[in-house]
Amino acid sequence: MNMKWFWAIVIGCLFISGVAFAQLPAGIPREETLIADQLSGRVGTPGNFNLWAGWRWQDRGIQQLLLEPLWTVDYATGEIIPGLASGMPEYNEDFTQMTIRLRQGVYWSDGVPLTADDVVYTIDLHVRNAELPYHGPMAEFVEKVEKIDDYTVSVHLKRANSRFHSHFLDRWGCLRIMPKHVFEKVDNPITYEFNPPVGCGPYVLYDYDPAGFWTLWERREDWDRTPTGMLYGKPQPKYVIIQGFESEEARILAQLRHELDMAQHTPEGLKVVLEKSDTVRAWRREWPWVVNIDPCITGIMFNNLVEPYNNREVRWALTLAIDIVEYMAIAFDSMAPVSPIHLPPVPAYKEAFFTPLEEWLKGFTLDLGNGETFQPYDPEVPFKIAESAKKRGYPVPEDPAMIRDLFGMGWWKYAPEVAEKLLKKNGFSRGEDGKWRLPDGSPWKIDIVADVNVASHPLRNATAAAEQWRKFGIEVTVSPTEARETMILKGEFAVCDQWPAAEPWGAGVDLSRTFDPWHSRLLTPIGKSVALGPGGAARWCDPRLDQIIGEMEVTDPFTAVERTKQLGIEALKILIQEMPTIPTYGYCGAVAWDEYYWTNWPGAENPYTQPYQHWPNLKYMLPFLKSQKK
Amino acid sequence: MRFVRDYLIPRLVQYVLVIFFGITAVFLIPRFTGQDPVLEIIAQIQTQGGSLDPIAVRKLTETLQELYGLRGTLWEQYVNMWRRVFHLDFGPSLFQFPTPVSELLRIYLPWTIGLFATSTLLAWLLGNVLGGIAGYFSSQSWSKILDAVIMVIRPVPHYIFGVLLLILFAYVWALFPAGGLMLGRRTVVDLRFVMIILRYSFLPALTLVVLGGAGWFQQMKLLVQNVRREDFVQYAQAGGVKERVIISRYVMRNAMLPQITQLALVLGQVFSGVLMVEMVFSYPGMGLLLYRAVTRGDYNLVMGIAILSIFTITTAVLLLDLLYPLLDPRIRHR
Repeated sequence: MNMKWFWAIVIGCLFISGVAFAQLPAGIPREETLIADQLSGRVGTPGNFNLWAGWRWQDRGIQQLLLEPLWTVDYATGEIIPGLASGMPEYNEDFTQMTIRLRQGVYWSDGVPLTADDVVYTIDLHVRNAELPYHGPMAEFVEKVEKIDDYTVSVHLKRANSRFHSHFLDRWGCLRIMPKHVFEKVDNPITYEFNPPVGCGPYVLYDYDPAGFWTLWERREDWDRTPTGMLYGKPQPKYVIIQGFESEEARILAQLRHELDMAQHTPEGLKVVLEKSDTVRAWRREWPWVVNIDPCITGIMFNNLVEPYNNREVRWALTLAIDIVEYMAIAFDSMAPVSPIHLPPVPAYKEAFFTPLEEWLKGFTLDLGNGETFQPYDPEVPFKIAESAKKRGYPVPEDPAMIRDLFGMGWWKYAPEVAEKLLKKNGFSRGEDGKWRLPDGSPWKIDIVADVNVASHPLRNATAAAEQWRKFGIEVTVSPTEARETMILKGEFAVCDQWPAAEPWGAGVDLSRTFDPWHSRLLTPIGKSVALGPGGAARWCDPRLDQIIGEMEVTDPFTAVERTKQLGIEALKILIQEMPTIPTYGYCGAVAWDEYYWTNWPGAENPYTQPYQHWPNLKYMLPFLKSQKK
Repeated sequence: MRFVRDYLIPRLVQYVLVIFFGITAVFLIPRFTGQDPVLEIIAQIQTQGGSLDPIAVRKLTETLQELYGLRGTLWEQYVNMWRRVFHLDFGPSLFQFPTPVSELLRIYLPWTIGLFATSTLLAWLLGNVLGGIAGYFSSQSWSKILDAVIMVIRPVPHYIFGVLLLILFAYVWALFPAGGLMLGRRTVVDLRFVMIILRYSFLPALTLVVLGGAGWFQQMKLLVQNVRREDFVQYAQAGGVKERVIISRYVMRNAMLPQITQLALVLGQVFSGVLMVEMVFSYPGMGLLLYRAVTRGDYNLVMGIAILSIFTITTAVLLLDLLYPLLDPRIRHR
């Protein structure tokens, strides 16, 4: 090559790399910008913000910044935050009428006041338009919706429903109020793109990447006319960018370069970031770092319509064949809290359900036949996990209360000999090779349908369970497949790694969200899709649980708190007795916050709100952030 | 006329048949994967904790099936698909509903063409020129060293090489961005725009050029080594033809023929993009689009991309077959 050409290329490269410009679009100062990672990844519909019409990658900022719901759940504080509403919903005595009182002085981002007309329009449109995703419950329950005055709405229901408000309670999604003055001019609310969007939250759209990698939001001039501003004050970042990354490496590098303030990594990625950065912190400043108050429980799911998993004693045998201390080391390096019940150990539930249930758990007995019984609960599990982690060199605290906080309240004993008795009682046998045989004499093989994402909690559970059951003498394979979601929803599996129970609200004492998918009216045959995968795909029901769900439907969770709690405890006991799915440990998010530009994150030492950037509650975190202005 | 009857018409029939069977296969294969695009969407909302109650989910399933055009028998869907193909309408993307497939192709294709086509041509040019020279002077020590270096680079997977470049040039020496183009809808085409594009595309392009170029280099080197031993080259050398002329006109030109064929086929793959490179650098290309479509059971998008790909590759091969006599004097359509 000619030397002139060579030097021209070198100088060209240096010029390209040396051109000084910020990583941000022009005119956006980094120190006034918060950059957060988008959980759902790159937006597939970048120019479409109409989340009422279907899935629109709502964690691109639509739910966290643009819109405010009537109410939002916060599992970290255990509170339900009234946003557009001024208080909790009010029901009449027989739960056939719900009254919503709106916060006064809230304005849409285009200057139009938000009033009862918007609420009435939203509900009415959803009753009428069958193509809208929330049409189902609105058409099912709403008889009439009426405006009482500018800030009061009354919804008349076709039949009693003490949980009707939950359709408007934001927990990563709900029916949010539409700007009537925008949508009433639209011919088709399904095809309408809602771009530029008009919101009632503290930020408005500034710009977005047409390829969907990022969305940039700007704080509203009139932020004090939004519920966030009224409740918590001025959101500190002037701009917020929600950015999607296609690979963990890119996300890690961006955070190490101070180009990403809030991220959710894999636990392995989090370790790398913490090791390499002086300014990044995790939810907990010390090991095990991860968020252990997530309102989601992980575990193993059985298809209760498939033999032999339709037998509760088989399900219990498989539970007792798990050495949870070893399981936790394999699944999550002992960093998560175990849970023996079908609930995640969020603060509100520890107090309302875990503690009151513990005495009952200690006395809970399994019948092994021939008059023999066994008490499977082991309250020492957290201390055993702590010991195991300590042996592996982790700095485990000594305080017993802290150990229970980190590793859970207890789990089921590792009792392979009891599991053996339960199986033999049901006609199972061991072959000459020591492997288990089904009652018909054929080898017992378990294939766990699993997630393909190696960092995901489902696959971690599948791997750990497979290891434990192999040790017990069952032939187990783990089959990660892209078709997992479809297979699980259609029941084309025997054992899988789906969430063992539907995620509860995470606040209050109402557990209906977890129990509802198990009502017998929703039991779906194999081959037909269940309505709710988490919990529901187990295809299990129990007349006792039907009765409890029925009573919950006519019990006000806000005024009849004790009764609601008691019903929850009774339902949890049924789940433990039957064990239709195995809950193992609470979901843990590997959150990483960079303190280079922003501080005062809601960490374990000060959990003033939930910690994730993708939850709708992000807007309630922003007023508390402090700028470092480096 | 004999050319038309004996070659062109059978070749065109073959062309049409390949397209027909290809599109039919593309229609059927996603439907055998066991994935239901409607359920994928619903599962995504549920897994992330979205609030959808059972009644809402049931209604939503029915609505989505209607909107996605997944109602009716397989045959009805197949006939409908051909109708769409003839109108160049691939319908809406199912996972990125309601965005039309054609709109997605319009957004992503230029990015892939910009990166993939440019870097492929550059890699092809560099690899062939260097490979040709190194092959001709294969006994020289610099050629042996270059060969050894390329032998080490060539097997490195795109993903690993990309991450390595990222660590070196986006972290250790933070010269280039770690990914994610910062170009919004307000972008105007000016010098800054060009600079941003170049800066963001540099590392992905470097990955493709180095790894792609290494492949072309090795192939060309072997071809040249073979051609160099041909009688006509030795005759030219004996006749006192200048070495530069021998390399360029006698050796390289003849060794280049299979490389041209392969280049046409590689360029046809532009529609499937370069997935791993796009993932590492968060680059908005066709590879990621196709990957998402496949993993989410987005039939329409898979169809759209695959049909374009089938058309392009079969057309490229057809044109190449017809034009080959111009490139290779030894071939004639009788």
